[in-house]
Amino acid sequence: MYSLRRWWDRHRGYIVLAMLALGVGVFLQQTNGGLIYEIYRLLARPFQPPLWSEAVLRDAKLQEYQQRLEELESQNQQLRDLLDFKGDQKQQGLAAPLIGRSADHWWQQVILGRGKSDGVSPGNIVVAPGGVVGRIFEVSPNTSRVLLLSDPSSRVGATISRSRFMGYARGTSANRAVMEFFDKVPDVRRGDVVVTSSFSCFFPAGLPIGRVESVDLSKSPAPEAVINLSAPINSLEWAVIYQNRQTAGGSSCNERGDRSTGGTTP
Amino acid sequence: MKSDSIGNSLNQRIFTPTILNCLVTAGSVLLCLLVLPTRFVGMELAGIGPNWLLIWVVAWSVKRSPLQAALAGVVLGLIQDGMTAEQPTHVLSLVVVGVLTSLIRKERYLQEDFISIALITFGMAVVSETVTALQYTLLPDRSRSLLDIWTYHQLIALSSAILSSLWAPIVYVPLNRWWKYINSQQA
Repeated sequence: MYSLRRWWDRHRGYIVLAMLALGVGVFLQQTNGGLIYEIYRLLARPFQPPLWSEAVLRDAKLQEYQQRLEELESQNQQLRDLLDFKGDQKQQGLAAPLIGRSADHWWQQVILGRGKSDGVSPGNIVVAPGGVVGRIFEVSPNTSRVLLLSDPSSRVGATISRSRFMGYARGTSANRAVMEFFDKVPDVRRGDVVVTSSFSCFFPAGLPIGRVESVDLSKSPAPEAVINLSAPINSLEWAVIYQNRQTAGGSSCNERGDRSTGGTTP
Repeated sequence: MKSDSIGNSLNQRIFTPTILNCLVTAGSVLLCLLVLPTRFVGMELAGIGPNWLLIWVVAWSVKRSPLQAALAGVVLGLIQDGMTAEQPTHVLSLVVVGVLTSLIRKERYLQEDFISIALITFGMAVVSETVTALQYTLLPDRSRSLLDIWTYHQLIALSSAILSSLWAPIVYVPLNRWWKYINSQQA
């Protein structure tokens, strides 16, 4: 008993400190590091760029318009004879500065400087000049984390805008994604515009993703195309957050081709 | 009366440095955590930055027991899990790194200077990314193919190892000096 007591007296300080450290670790893990991101945002604030006026982004914007136009033309053709065509309600987006990137190398994430207090919630869509960037999976009071389309665990239903062939795109960690088609012989060429499909339940249909860079029709089990994502994710400084009305859809979200959450949600 | 003053001076000699030491140590961890999401010019290679937590764990473990090293690995790993995703966990890789670093017989093979710290960090960065890649390989959910995992592993392991080892002294040298100073104060 006495020796136990002496041992305790000698090591008490270290044990308390070790417990404290573990406690802090567990707390930060349970709160998904929200505290750290809040402090980070506070410190990063003076360095936030004033406007997205860079030439790269302007080019990307132009490219986005071009792709949107192409998509709309093609869509228009199809919708002309549909009676229940619903008009596209314009939605006000929330501009958010990009304040950081993924805290490790295996995930393709970015951190935006808007959070719960601005009305951002998990599942919201993030769009940048050029096209879709990803969706929000975690929010803290003033920051939010985005899982990029280029993350391998991010999958999105996609359509070739010209020929309406469908498939799903999964990220390959650089500025690229690979699109796997549902059909054996899809009509797809280099340069085709790829947009989110109407089967996608995490993204509204018709948002530009990128352009087809190369096609491999002999790939098994399904033909593949490499897509160059049109939003310049590496030089991004601002992005726009949109509410996603589609997430209420529910049951169809079990489809295999669009499980964008991957392992991110505990 | 006399014993009281002795107690007071003991308090000041032992406890004030201890509290200060805790603050500096925790502050350095916080600093590393806050640098983690940044990609400054000159600190990134193909979009990959230095692994600051790994550098910190190496700096902490070099002169400590495996148990202390493992504890640091667990705490920092948990925090990084919170900041990214829990699966695959960063706890495992950082614990492995910490324990290995504390077990290296530095006095025999390596000098105690920042060149050898850079070398250790280089090796440990490769080890840590390999542990993560192995976790991905064994993970039940197949969002990445084996080929993807290991090609990406090559890219990450190399860039992260180069950058981490280059930036390791910036964490190690001040922390090492501080811990040395504190130890000499307490001795």
